[in-house]
Amino acid sequence: MPWRLLKYGLKSSHNEPRFFPEAKPLKPHYDVVIIGGGGHGMACAYYLAKEHGITNVAVLEQGYIGGGNTGRNTTIVRSNYLTPEGVKFYDTSLKLFEDLSDDFDLNIFYSTRGHFTLAHTDSALRTMRWRAEVNKHHGIESEVVDRDFIAKEVPYMDLDCAGTHPVMGALYHAPGAVARHDAVAWGYARGAYNRGVEIHQKTRVTAIRTQGDKVTGVETDRGFVSCNKVVSMVAGSTPRITSMLGLETPIEIFPLQACVSEPVKPFMDTIVVSGSLHVYVSQSSRGEMVMGASMDPSVLHSTRSSFNFVEGLTDQMIDLFPFMSRMKVMRQWAGMSDITPDFAPIMGKTPIDGFYLDAGWGTWGFKATPVSGKTLAWTLANDRNHELIEPFRLSRFTDFELVGEKGAASVGH
Amino acid sequence: MKVFDCPVIGPRPISEFDYGGEVRRPPMEADAPSWAAYVFNRQGAPGLLREWWYHRPTGRWYVMERDTLKDEVVRFIDLEEVRYDIPA
Amino acid sequence: MTSRLDPQPLEWLDRSETLSFEFEGKAFTGFAGDSISSALLASGQTLLGRSFKYHRPRGVVTLANHDVNALFQSSEEPNIRGDITPLTAGMSLTACNVNGSLEKDRDQIIGTLSRFLPVGFYYKTFHNPKKLFPMWERVIREKAGLGTIDTRWSVRRQAKTYGFCDLLVIGAGASGMQAALSAAEQGLDVVLVDENPQIGGSLDYQLVNEANAAPIRERLKAAVQNHANIRVLPAHLACGWYTDHYVPLLGPNGIIKMRARAVISATGVMEQPAVFRNNDLPGVMMASAAQRLIVRYAVKPGQRGVVLTANSEGYRAALDMVKAGVDVAAVIDMGSANSRGVWADEIRQQGIRVLEQHAVYEAKGKKRLTQIVAAPFDGHTCEPSKAFEIDADLLLMSVGWAPAAQLLYQAGGRLAYDSTLEQLLPQELPEGIFACGRLNGAFTLEQRLADGERAGAEAAVFLKDEALPAELAACRDREAHSHPWPIVDHPGGKNFIDFDEDLQLKDLVNAAKEGFDNIELMKRFSTVGMGPSQGKHANMNGIRVLAAVTGRSIDQTGSTTARPMFHPVPVQALAGRRFRPERLTAMHQWHLDNGARMMEAGAWLRPEYYLPTSETGVSDAAGAGNLSIREQAILREVQAVRTGLGLIDVSTLGKIEVMGPDAGKLLDGSYTMRMSNIKQDMTRYALMVDESGVIVDDGIAARVAEDRFYVSATTSHADATFRTLSRHIVEWGLDVRLVNRTGSLAAMNLAGPHARKLLAPLTDIDLSEENFPYLGFKEGNLCDVPVRLIRVGFVGELGYEIHLPVASAQRVWNTLMEQGAEYGIRPFGVEAQRVLRLEKGHIIVGQDTDGLTNPFEANMPWAVPLKSKPWFTGKPSLALLKARCQRTLRGFMLPKGYSGELPKECHLLIDSGDIAGRITSIAYSPSLGRYIGLAMVDQPLADSDRLYQVRVDSGALIPLEPCATPFYDAEGKRQTVDLTEVA
Repeated sequence: MPWRLLKYGLKSSHNEPRFFPEAKPLKPHYDVVIIGGGGHGMACAYYLAKEHGITNVAVLEQGYIGGGNTGRNTTIVRSNYLTPEGVKFYDTSLKLFEDLSDDFDLNIFYSTRGHFTLAHTDSALRTMRWRAEVNKHHGIESEVVDRDFIAKEVPYMDLDCAGTHPVMGALYHAPGAVARHDAVAWGYARGAYNRGVEIHQKTRVTAIRTQGDKVTGVETDRGFVSCNKVVSMVAGSTPRITSMLGLETPIEIFPLQACVSEPVKPFMDTIVVSGSLHVYVSQSSRGEMVMGASMDPSVLHSTRSSFNFVEGLTDQMIDLFPFMSRMKVMRQWAGMSDITPDFAPIMGKTPIDGFYLDAGWGTWGFKATPVSGKTLAWTLANDRNHELIEPFRLSRFTDFELVGEKGAASVGH
Repeated sequence: MKVFDCPVIGPRPISEFDYGGEVRRPPMEADAPSWAAYVFNRQGAPGLLREWWYHRPTGRWYVMERDTLKDEVVRFIDLEEVRYDIPA
Repeated sequence: MTSRLDPQPLEWLDRSETLSFEFEGKAFTGFAGDSISSALLASGQTLLGRSFKYHRPRGVVTLANHDVNALFQSSEEPNIRGDITPLTAGMSLTACNVNGSLEKDRDQIIGTLSRFLPVGFYYKTFHNPKKLFPMWERVIREKAGLGTIDTRWSVRRQAKTYGFCDLLVIGAGASGMQAALSAAEQGLDVVLVDENPQIGGSLDYQLVNEANAAPIRERLKAAVQNHANIRVLPAHLACGWYTDHYVPLLGPNGIIKMRARAVISATGVMEQPAVFRNNDLPGVMMASAAQRLIVRYAVKPGQRGVVLTANSEGYRAALDMVKAGVDVAAVIDMGSANSRGVWADEIRQQGIRVLEQHAVYEAKGKKRLTQIVAAPFDGHTCEPSKAFEIDADLLLMSVGWAPAAQLLYQAGGRLAYDSTLEQLLPQELPEGIFACGRLNGAFTLEQRLADGERAGAEAAVFLKDEALPAELAACRDREAHSHPWPIVDHPGGKNFIDFDEDLQLKDLVNAAKEGFDNIELMKRFSTVGMGPSQGKHANMNGIRVLAAVTGRSIDQTGSTTARPMFHPVPVQALAGRRFRPERLTAMHQWHLDNGARMMEAGAWLRPEYYLPTSETGVSDAAGAGNLSIREQAILREVQAVRTGLGLIDVSTLGKIEVMGPDAGKLLDGSYTMRMSNIKQDMTRYALMVDESGVIVDDGIAARVAEDRFYVSATTSHADATFRTLSRHIVEWGLDVRLVNRTGSLAAMNLAGPHARKLLAPLTDIDLSEENFPYLGFKEGNLCDVPVRLIRVGFVGELGYEIHLPVASAQRVWNTLMEQGAEYGIRPFGVEAQRVLRLEKGHIIVGQDTDGLTNPFEANMPWAVPLKSKPWFTGKPSLALLKARCQRTLRGFMLPKGYSGELPKECHLLIDSGDIAGRITSIAYSPSLGRYIGLAMVDQPLADSDRLYQVRVDSGALIPLEPCATPFYDAEGKRQTVDLTEVA
């Protein structure tokens, strides 16, 4: 038993310090206002304080910490993207993830599982080789593997898919991992709070004030605060924020759904994704099968669940894992994905001085949590885009310089 | 599952439809930035949205005005309303 | 020791059928109609399972599908809920999640260590040192999880059906039955559903001994079952509420996907536990659980019982116990007995001790309850100094209820706390959603009937679009049936809020103190409500605790979101029957009979290549060295096309008839090149881009008549192209009609120098070069079948694409194969076609292009008439992109005789250490005797005169020679090779 548990047991009262502050009034002015208290917002606050000494910062969260997509995703971390800019960015993120538990002194249950993206067609296999080659070029463990390899690593999977769309191979990404998503947000929040950042839950931004083309502050349902810099890190609520400024973006909101089974004893160590079958699955440390599919096909600003999602998902899932037909689905939920035309994020400076964006996170936001916070903090501190996010600038659409991630990300998560 | 009460074919489940996205009209004369804005930018915020929906079984397009927050169809749009001319 | 009672009036048992089964290696029997748990209890087995974390002994708590500590394992299924799963003969069960056996669970030790495992402990440890975490994680994962999966289990699928009704009433208790009747009387088509195998609900198990309930029960049951407008579905669980009143009903034979026009939730209330030390011991159960045991299963829940109560239901339950022969030692009332009605009087008359303003401070016992410790209670805390003991093996908890409001929440309803009833009640319900009964605060039978009547009438008024009569008001009770604080602190803890997750009172308090003082944060940090019962007996007390800690009201505290499913639903029922439609061409069987290896192309199956049995093992085709049988087969097909004749089934191509005065205008606007000026009987390459200029499809367009075109599309994009054209007709207001002929027409491509010779005698079409040149189009007859012929050049030989009705396609195919034998005709597949087109430098959309490729990058500037066409979809984008080309598709070759490691498609070009492109296609060209390919090359490298270098699997860099395309027959002479030779 680790010594720290002994310490808890031997203490008579529970005197653990608070993770997050109690509610208190807003100050009239902050140097930086971060809209959105999810993983990204908290990470940005954390790195602003820790790496740039900027602590007069308020994180404004309309609900509760990590209550948006941070708490709704399926917790997969990987870096086997298709484009060099994507690969570099997500690999930086993955490496930060690996050290987060230490960094926070909080166990985020970062668990390296290995990640299979199955190919059921030769064209999928071609795209996977492309990804693998780009990945390897950047020093990332990623390779195209054949059926024999998959059969050895995931012996309980029916590679023939019950007769249609058999698995032809896979992209295998050994560093692929899962983590306890909430803990990531809590760790960043606690770290930021301990360094002086203010976190205000149940505080909704209702307007952003500008003078000329410069940000002067934000209106909230708890009053006005002035500030020099505002960064929007609100994923599925991004268009609501940008529309306050009349700022047009390509972002559209589509629901992304997921579900979990009842917990069972561990049998699955890997993460399995099939783009063709629109399924992905891993087993959480609690023993639940965490399962998802592709996004809903039409725009919706709602986290309602649909029955056809869970029907379609389970139907395809048991082609791969027939025995899972004996399990039960316990709960389903949805998040709102902010989707861009090229499946890459939109980050950094905007045409409005002092307004920064961290958006377009679609279905890949969780895995970018650390690097987004870190690069946005740098960008806020230096008022220019960090080099890792320069390819993701909003103006790329005006310049027709899209990031070619679409081919690889369709059901990647 | 959502049901659309179509004027022609009656109530049909959303699973019979393909989503065609926001109804838009390309500017015939536009400078580069405004053309790019037309191509990529969307009305992302919640609210009333005119959208294309293709009914697969009958092969027909519909345009509906939908509240994307409540997921409620407010009305079906006369297709004449979304017409525009292209230079020949 | 058996606890089975004599037959009960409403029991579910069929005593004529005795069922034998095994549990933990011991033999048991029960009756048909028993659940697993009731059969075990009837046989004296009160220890049913172990808790999730501390492996504490657990038994029956609710008997209402919430007993997640009484889960069972069989060799066929994990996590079997004993409280509701019907017993079947021969079942062989073990306890779930025990280390060793249920009786001797070695993991009990964890319970004694609980003080070292405070709330959220796993976030605070195990991560340092980092390298040990995988080991700890393994330990944690092994300890977590409930049942065990056998990965050899075969698939199970249950078919689903669709259902429709005007009104779905969920819950067939008193109010639900009355609501169904009331609506049915108004002429509505009603479905009445209940998750229990028999209807009646609490009208049965709670009011069995109420004399005045009996005639009502009989009348209601008979009425709903006999009413022509009511379909009664017992044993069907409403899994969840989905948009537009779509409610899947899970029954024994699968799911009925019920689409209703309105829904009444008469789902009742879920009894909530009291929180005191050791409130989880077997023998401590909800009063309603004991009532269910007696009424449904004729099981005596204990010998000597105590009732802890805060409502009149507790007194009624005590009387029920007396009637069932339980020696009731005391009724402990957390408040005053004054408002408990006649039942309290009756209890007193029976001489049973009533302890007012008291609570249970602690329960005692090892594997089951033996004694309780009661103490005075002031509404918030106990006075332990005045505690006293009562021997008992049964303790009923009747201290309050939580609404089964999950479906209301899912529908977007809002509940608010009613401080009179001390219960959450529906406050605002969305359109078409109604609630009645105890869920709605109607507690007496009279109130429930009246409330059901009201809800049914309201639903009828809503569905008939009539105005709502004002007198329809909810019939809510005016006294509390729940205690606002049924929670007793104890220094020793083990006073559980959440049985699923083994969460004690202090865990929630500490979570709040650590800053997780929002109900959602508390849930996520402490895991309260996250277990398999999804908080059905934990959330309400959790909310009460958080409200108390933070000094907020229940409403301010809020509740967590109730998401589907209501109870966990088997995957086999959700998945349904397997349906994987495949599209087969008219020649499919012929392909199979002739050795075709099929591949999937979207929903279609196409021959990849043919391996005629007669040729298996033939080696060294085309002198290409050590080739696999597959590669040899492909090469033979390529050679046949180049030197003799080949025939490929291209029926999967999209085929669209475009008719009407504006047909030309439609195609002009939809494709990059002008189509309206295609001459009669001629065709043109048709390239489609999206608004951003990205290539999405290609095909050919043929001019059939002045107002008529025939357009092809790629296999994978055929449907999308049809949709796009359809939409353009609407948005451009064109007079055009489209017919999608993809499925009704077959198509085959006859290609090779002898194509004309073979066709000529079989057709009435004049095939002369003057009449039918390259890219020409003709309608006529072939083998007496009406066909369309198109002179195509995709594979680079004299070729005719033959489009014809599906019904005649096989006959024509056969004739061509037979008559073509003298020219060495072979069928060829997709792979040979890929080689052949590559020799011609033709792209395959989706292989040589990706999600961002524009025509300039694809090296097809000739297909983008920016100057001569005023408009087409994507034109303004392409006008901008022309000057910004960042990469170009280029041809390359490997040196002749190259025998080293072969590059593959999607291997990267490397230039000065950086990625500079990728190979999109590569194949051995038998015509050229070397490997050729296409690569998407970054502009700097494409513009340079440097050699390309590709990095192959081994990491080695292989030089490629850039070269122009086509690789083969650049002048297109092969299109008339037969004529040239003749001349």
